[in-house]
Amino acid sequence: MSNYNYCYPFAAVVGQKQAKRALKIALVNPKAGGLLISGVTGTAKSVLVRSAAMLAGSRKIINLPLNVTEDMLFGSIDLEYAVSQGERRFESGLLGRADGNILYIDEVNLLRPELLTAVLDINIAGENRVERDGISFAHKTEYTVIGTMDPHEGLLPNHLLDRFGLFVETENLKDKEQRKIIMQRLLDFSRDRIAFIQSYRKETEQLKVQIAKARELLPEVEISEAMMELVVQYCTQAFCAGHRADLYLLETARAIAALAERTYILPKDMEEAAMYVLPHRMRKPPEPESEEEEPAQEEPEEQEENTDLPDDADEAENDQENSLPPPPASQEADNENNTDENNDSNENDKKTPDSDPQINSSQEDKVDGIDMHFPIPKMILDMGRDQVNRKGSGKRSLTKTDLKQGRYVRAEIPKNKVDDLAFDATIRAAAPYQRHREKNNCAINIQQGDLRQRVREKRIGTTFLFVVDASGSMGAQERMRAVKGAIFAMLQEAYQKRDKVGMIAFRRKVAEELLPITRSVDLAQKRLAELPTGGKTPLAEGLAQAFISLDMLKRKEPDAEPVLVLVTDGRANSVVQEGEDPVESAMKLAKQIHKAKITSIVIDTETDFIKLGVAQQIAAAMGANYYKLKQLSQGDILHIVRNIGI
Amino acid sequence: MKRRGVFPFTAIVGQEDMKLSLILNVINPALGGVLIKGEKGTAKSTAVRALAELLPAMEAVKGCRFHCDPVQESFLCDDCTEKFHKDGLSDIETLKMRVVELPVSATEDRVVGTLDVEYAIKKGEKKFEPGLLAQANRNILYVDEINLLDDHVVDVLLDAAAMGVNTVEREGVSYSHPARFVLVGTMNPEEGDIRPQLLDRFALSVTVTGEHDRDNRKEVIKRRLAYEADPEGFIAAYQKEQEELAQKIVAAGKLLPEVTVADDMLDKVAGLAIDLGVDGHRSDITLIKTAMTMAAFQGRKNVETEDLKIAARLALPHRMRRRPFEDGTLDMEKVLAALEG
Repeated sequence: MSNYNYCYPFAAVVGQKQAKRALKIALVNPKAGGLLISGVTGTAKSVLVRSAAMLAGSRKIINLPLNVTEDMLFGSIDLEYAVSQGERRFESGLLGRADGNILYIDEVNLLRPELLTAVLDINIAGENRVERDGISFAHKTEYTVIGTMDPHEGLLPNHLLDRFGLFVETENLKDKEQRKIIMQRLLDFSRDRIAFIQSYRKETEQLKVQIAKARELLPEVEISEAMMELVVQYCTQAFCAGHRADLYLLETARAIAALAERTYILPKDMEEAAMYVLPHRMRKPPEPESEEEEPAQEEPEEQEENTDLPDDADEAENDQENSLPPPPASQEADNENNTDENNDSNENDKKTPDSDPQINSSQEDKVDGIDMHFPIPKMILDMGRDQVNRKGSGKRSLTKTDLKQGRYVRAEIPKNKVDDLAFDATIRAAAPYQRHREKNNCAINIQQGDLRQRVREKRIGTTFLFVVDASGSMGAQERMRAVKGAIFAMLQEAYQKRDKVGMIAFRRKVAEELLPITRSVDLAQKRLAELPTGGKTPLAEGLAQAFISLDMLKRKEPDAEPVLVLVTDGRANSVVQEGEDPVESAMKLAKQIHKAKITSIVIDTETDFIKLGVAQQIAAAMGANYYKLKQLSQGDILHIVRNIGI
Repeated sequence: MKRRGVFPFTAIVGQEDMKLSLILNVINPALGGVLIKGEKGTAKSTAVRALAELLPAMEAVKGCRFHCDPVQESFLCDDCTEKFHKDGLSDIETLKMRVVELPVSATEDRVVGTLDVEYAIKKGEKKFEPGLLAQANRNILYVDEINLLDDHVVDVLLDAAAMGVNTVEREGVSYSHPARFVLVGTMNPEEGDIRPQLLDRFALSVTVTGEHDRDNRKEVIKRRLAYEADPEGFIAAYQKEQEELAQKIVAAGKLLPEVTVADDMLDKVAGLAIDLGVDGHRSDITLIKTAMTMAAFQGRKNVETEDLKIAARLALPHRMRRRPFEDGTLDMEKVLAALEG
């Protein structure tokens, strides 16, 4: 049924010049390292890949579904043969079937990373070694990996990104006429797809011939010394790690030359190749830290780098401008992002009522907008070894689950009683012995020793409880805008990891639970935007409220390992009970939190000239991980280490 | 067991957008489904279950596990494709389109299908046992509380919805079959978000709220009580209305292929999309298809601005967010200005 003959034709796709070009290159030269297409939803990513099936000649597109089990991916024992012959024979999996073909992974960023690593590494090595189900086998395999992803659903880590030779982004067309043509064509296609495909037959045929010719010509494309020089120059300027980039660049340039029916590479081929091979692997130059890039030159977010290493994106971009031909795609992306920025800032302006930034601890309430350009912090949770089977859902950490939910990833020989039988693995285990076993009209007799237990995996999210200082001092000098930006960025991270979030704000004399702990990151963002600042700082109240909320959570979900995120400038100056010292009572509560082994992180927003450093003291008392807001805005990685108590 | 009657669709008070969006999806199964958002007790599930009574009949290849459409050669399963090329598909049966429910607790193997264990043990051979997605082919797939669905099941749904094909590479079986279904989901937003990707797969979205009008509220209670007191009598009382609506749906389905869109209508849609700054192109095509279906429902062969307005109300609100969980609201004034200008 993987019938791609009825797909929307490649030639009928409007715009997407770069993606189309990259796809052709990937089809011509498998050594170019495969292709990753990134783009927001509805920008013809999958349409393009599927349509490529018609251009690939005798090669097939093999679809790798996200829920593939390991036996089917790598190959396993041939069940039917084992039963009838009593011998173990290897039966190819997807990776075997992909040999010489194209392996298509939709939503590649959602594939389990260890599987993706294996898929990419096996291709690079050209060999699949299987040791499972009593089978030991190795076979050659080489395929072209094409992946598509929506960056909103999370990004690929650098080491995986690096293994894709080519990278391209699909564009959101802004032209009215083009949009009309798209609609018209899609309507025609859905009305009568066979007639529609037929009407593009000529173009499709031409493309197919072009690719076939280029493939034939490819081995003859020569690489001159000068071109090698150029490759090295490009790659060193882009600070690419390792040597993979050099080869990919070279092979891509060869494909481009072959597509132009040449047997030699021109500098412009190399220039074009760099556009697809380099953007996703540029690294920070290992130079001594140059002083802060001035924020005025705020570069648009380049998707593949922004979340992980926001600074890199800036510098890589600048770098690229100096040394490389600017890729048109990112230029366009720039424009897009710029308009976004404008929109955002307009919105923010609307939300921000006029206020005098000089007023400190004002009694007036004001509502700051959210700084939408705050880099998304990378949060690494070090919660120690996970020995307990946990319940819950989310993506923060992978954990084995004892519920019969979660994705069945592999089978194992049971350690205890079998309560979640892996039928397929059990049958495979029993198969080779069937010739010698007594059978009652069945083909397979299963015995105790054959039983296999399913191993399921489920991603467990973390619960983040934000405790936000909303006092007047926080509202000064646009500080709240940055704070909201930081929290917003963390919320985005939380969304991608499917974490739960809750929010408490404290100001004047009270702490208020703005948002009970929920999976709705949506609501959290809404409450955040509406949060006003003003009044004094009842820090102790905020901590007390957090303590109560987390205590309740513990009761409901004893397995949960929440993280308390305290955002404050530490200027505690309000208490409920007259006569208490605001800082001291906050310290008391901080110690309690430490004792209760609540993992926490303090984000210090104090920027005043005279620093009191209270937030840092509080952090120490809480046993919290301590970061300054500035560190976050620089894209520092947040290491959150488990609180092991006093 | 005698099948218990269902509360008639036409007896549901108010909730016009929800009812309309469901009807449009029945008329045009290629539209792409609907997400119904609302608090508990707003007749979401009642409406979807009631819809079953209004579903039209369809022709299918006899005995096919996926009830393939004999006239759509591009969407045939492997067996039917083979038959099609050998002797043609002449053995046909008439089935009623139906609502297939996917419970939130469903495991992945039941959703996508798995190894037929019994067959394997008896015969020593591998065979694919179809799951819910096979049943859902050409039918309505209904997921109550879709926002609570496990992530990995959502992935599967997305995959199948995107390709119209369910690809299985699991537990010893490698199989793929057509899985084109109308996805209908309901959710209570207070219980958590739905993934933007999944959200985008829904052609339409409607938000239902409890009736605020006193008389309507009273009417809701009255009808519920009447139904509970005498289900059969109640259903009989709505028999005529039900039949009329069912016929209207069938007629609209027949008219739909003849509906055309004038260039100035496309112009308006493209302009609107640019004005609103939506992501991608799915919204344009959904908007236009919804308007076409609306025209057919009205018994017209041409799309008018009125159709576009209604389509915009149903197809755009959930596409207004630009970031994963940004607050998106549809500025209806802007929409109307763009469509009328």
